[in-house]
Amino acid sequence: MKKNLIMDKNYLSYWLRQIRKTMSLIAPMRLKNADIVFKQVDNIHEIELDCPASLPSPKEFLLPQKEYMFRFSKNSVDVLKDCTKRLIFGVRSCDISAIDLMDRFFGEKFVDEYYMSRRENTVFISIVCNNPDPTCFCIGLGTGPFLKSNFDIQLTDLGDRYLVETGSKQGADLIRGYSHLFSRPKKSDYDDQYEVILSSQSKFEKRISLENTRQKILNEKINDLFWDWIARRCFECGGCVYACPVCTCFNVVDRMEQEGDGYRFRIWDACMFKGFTRMAGNVWPAEKKGSRIKQRYFHKLLYYPDHFGRFGCVGCGRCTITCPGHVDMATIAHRIDVGDRRRR
Amino acid sequence: MNKIATICPYCGCGCGLYLHVENNTIVGVSPVRNHLVNKGSLCVKSWNCFEFVHHPDRLKYPLIKEKNGAFRRASWDEALRLVAARLLEIRKSSGPDSISIVSSAKSTNEENYVMMKFARAVIGTNNIDHCARLCHSSTVGGLADSFGSGAMTNSINEIVHAKLLFVIGSNTTEQHPMIGMHMLDAVDRGAVLIVADPRKTQIAGLAQFHLRHRPGTDVALLNGIMNVIIDDRLVDIPFVKRRTEKFDSFRALITKYPPEAVERITGVSAQDIKKVARLYATEKKAMLFYSMGITQHTTGVDNVCACANLTMLTGHIGLPMTGLNPLRGQNNVQGACDMGALPNVYSGYQEIRDPKSRKKFEMAWKVKLPRDPGLTLMEMFNGVLKGDTKALYIMGENPAVSNPDVTHTVNALKKLDFLVVQDIFLSDTAEYAHVVLPAATFAEKDGTFTNTERRVQKISAAIEPVGESKPDWEIICALSREMGYDLNYRATHEIMEEIALLTPIYRGILHHRLEGDSGLQWPCPSATHPGTPFLHRKKFAKGFGTFMPVDYVPPAEMPDSEFPFILTTGRTCFHYHTRTMSRRTSTLERECPECLIEINPSDADSLQIKHMNVVRVSSRRGVLTGRVYITENTPGGVVFMPFHFGEAPVNMLTNPALDPSAKIPEYKVCAVRIELIK
Repeated sequence: MKKNLIMDKNYLSYWLRQIRKTMSLIAPMRLKNADIVFKQVDNIHEIELDCPASLPSPKEFLLPQKEYMFRFSKNSVDVLKDCTKRLIFGVRSCDISAIDLMDRFFGEKFVDEYYMSRRENTVFISIVCNNPDPTCFCIGLGTGPFLKSNFDIQLTDLGDRYLVETGSKQGADLIRGYSHLFSRPKKSDYDDQYEVILSSQSKFEKRISLENTRQKILNEKINDLFWDWIARRCFECGGCVYACPVCTCFNVVDRMEQEGDGYRFRIWDACMFKGFTRMAGNVWPAEKKGSRIKQRYFHKLLYYPDHFGRFGCVGCGRCTITCPGHVDMATIAHRIDVGDRRRR
Repeated sequence: MNKIATICPYCGCGCGLYLHVENNTIVGVSPVRNHLVNKGSLCVKSWNCFEFVHHPDRLKYPLIKEKNGAFRRASWDEALRLVAARLLEIRKSSGPDSISIVSSAKSTNEENYVMMKFARAVIGTNNIDHCARLCHSSTVGGLADSFGSGAMTNSINEIVHAKLLFVIGSNTTEQHPMIGMHMLDAVDRGAVLIVADPRKTQIAGLAQFHLRHRPGTDVALLNGIMNVIIDDRLVDIPFVKRRTEKFDSFRALITKYPPEAVERITGVSAQDIKKVARLYATEKKAMLFYSMGITQHTTGVDNVCACANLTMLTGHIGLPMTGLNPLRGQNNVQGACDMGALPNVYSGYQEIRDPKSRKKFEMAWKVKLPRDPGLTLMEMFNGVLKGDTKALYIMGENPAVSNPDVTHTVNALKKLDFLVVQDIFLSDTAEYAHVVLPAATFAEKDGTFTNTERRVQKISAAIEPVGESKPDWEIICALSREMGYDLNYRATHEIMEEIALLTPIYRGILHHRLEGDSGLQWPCPSATHPGTPFLHRKKFAKGFGTFMPVDYVPPAEMPDSEFPFILTTGRTCFHYHTRTMSRRTSTLERECPECLIEINPSDADSLQIKHMNVVRVSSRRGVLTGRVYITENTPGGVVFMPFHFGEAPVNMLTNPALDPSAKIPEYKVCAVRIELIK
């Protein structure tokens, strides 16, 4: 299945245009206000690959913030599963790593059909990231800036051409029938790819070791006062969870339209909310903000590795961008790691 | 999936966000990263601001109330014809001033302008007001007296560069979260944060100085601070001499407020007052912020003037990173005021008493306009009970929950000959209407919002209006045509052109200049002007800044043996005002489903109340029940309740006593009794 090819950059738009005839093409686009967002592509030439990370992550195409599940009336149910075929182009390695985690979460034991329906109809072309943002720290986690496996297609920008690595059947399907666009890579192409990866790795400003943080949490008791101190700056916006490409929590809501008629949807939820674990009789198991933050970080740094063998964080830095109080993964992990738990 | 950039419909911060649209349905929201206000962040309300748009409760067609009191579906034609006929009839029998209009701080500038024109040109009355009366009318009035312009003087972007932030009466991190974010950034860069608030709010927990004065003693506290500044010779004498007037009478008054005397009134130690006074006066880049804690008192205007005096005394105004910054509550409350949805001014605060501006509007609108200022919001409802007001047209407001002493308001609504309510949901107020008109939400229309820092920003329709609902401006235009006045615009940018033509401070603000950008801050006097980040540079709007000597007057109702607690009201970060939108948002409603009465542990002990017990809270005006939430954050002798809940309408308890000039009610202080229900 694994196959490596070379494509002239000039052929990219032709290739994408052909693929677009069979599926919806989604890619990072630069808006008038200079923001980068993933959206449906109208003009292929407007796709931006040399850009900062998108906000939000491409998770919204697999688990949308609000997803209608089914409509119901007294004697019928109409399941609203999304089966749109999508190609998501220009995704970063960290986001692909996050999708790999989501696949495991939604596919383990109980299979989430809504997620799987979208997932099976979506194919990703990721790109070896050569312009990490100041907020990025995937390099310490092995989730970027490039991937060795678990991708559909991975592109490396070699100046005038792309090294195209195919890693899955869906990826191979995209290449089939376009052999005239591709040639076989030479040894120098691999050398060039190595240079790109080296140059990318040297550009990271943040060096965060979640493993060190994990060890510190396991071996040194972190006082709850630390979490309460972090909590003073938490706005309870839920932004860290909403923006996180790994977080999967949702709430299920039924809405009645008329007598007996209605619909069910799910909507992103967050463990940072007090009501997330509320029980009957007005009992909040995690009433203090600090205990919820602690739970979230324990989940990502301890329980995820126990269960999936990987951290529940891919180092994309989006919580750093979106947290209004600057109490994000990078900040908290760094503070625990270097032992800066002073009250300021 | 498409992503439409627009502005959040909740608070006055004016954050940029994208609505994610698939098949004419909004499925998500995300922050704009390159936005000057929110910089990639959003608060919990913004992150969930799209859910109510598709709620099944949305009004999808006009409703007419039958004789038996039930609503029936009607066509637009029938509903508009009925409204027009009834309004014309009442105008003929009782005169135009028997009709009052309540405009909306949730609607766009264009819609408020059209509504203001409808009241004045079509109905022929100046009886138009909106909820700014209940939040910042004291700012508009007080700062007009002191500076000549009642708006936030400086910009949100300056906060991070300030060296001192003095926040009084504002729960910034919860009610203006993105401004709170800028404040935290400033603190991280070494700024001193001083918070004056009886409650220990989140931002107070981050402050170097937290002054916990007794509710309603703001004037005394500020006068005490100014007394220290004068005594310590920290007054900016050149500024006071060159730019202000009436300093001498002010100084004479301030001598009555030595810090020791102020300590007895406010409960804040003289030591702290002195420290804060010295810090504020000696730091050049010092910004002063205030919000409802200052304005919602019978002494609201006095409180605002005291703040203004403090900035003038120290010369902390008319420069970047200084100023007096009232934080406006609603997404477009600044704009609704700017557009003249007020009984005494046209758009851009042009006095209706001034014959020159009246003539200008008469020429533009080709109609004779009424000369005398109209009724304010509370006077309208009093007018109904007196029999002077016969008809009320309410656009996007919910006075049946938001007015003080709501029993009085509901009686007035019931007594009206004719009530039209134009809203997105069947609100508590709409239940009393004769005709209900379905309006489109922020996600379904174009237009502009003006945020708290005077920034005019474009909003864009993401989806088609739900059901048969229409944008407010289209409804008003159709109604006015039915009434024989041709209000005719094809799109909102045409309305903006007319606003620019008639309003000097908006002259250069046109839709094409706002596209894909963070907007423009008024005053913007020409089509090439870049906007004004801070006001009163070199000269105050009215020429000289005026020191208004204000004395401390206690709140209208103080606790006594019968009603021993002070009740103070406010909001939580999960709901917005009367909850018409936020209760229909699953996450927000789940977080905060009921009214919790916050009380200090020592008071709870003495009343033998336990956490989550149900208590009866009564005042001289009403009674309600609710659960108690025991917290140190509320000081002793005080209880705090949010006003969101129609089920526990705290405004049944509040005191409708008004500030004599701004007519703002005293929401922040009234006396109550608490009893445990066994």
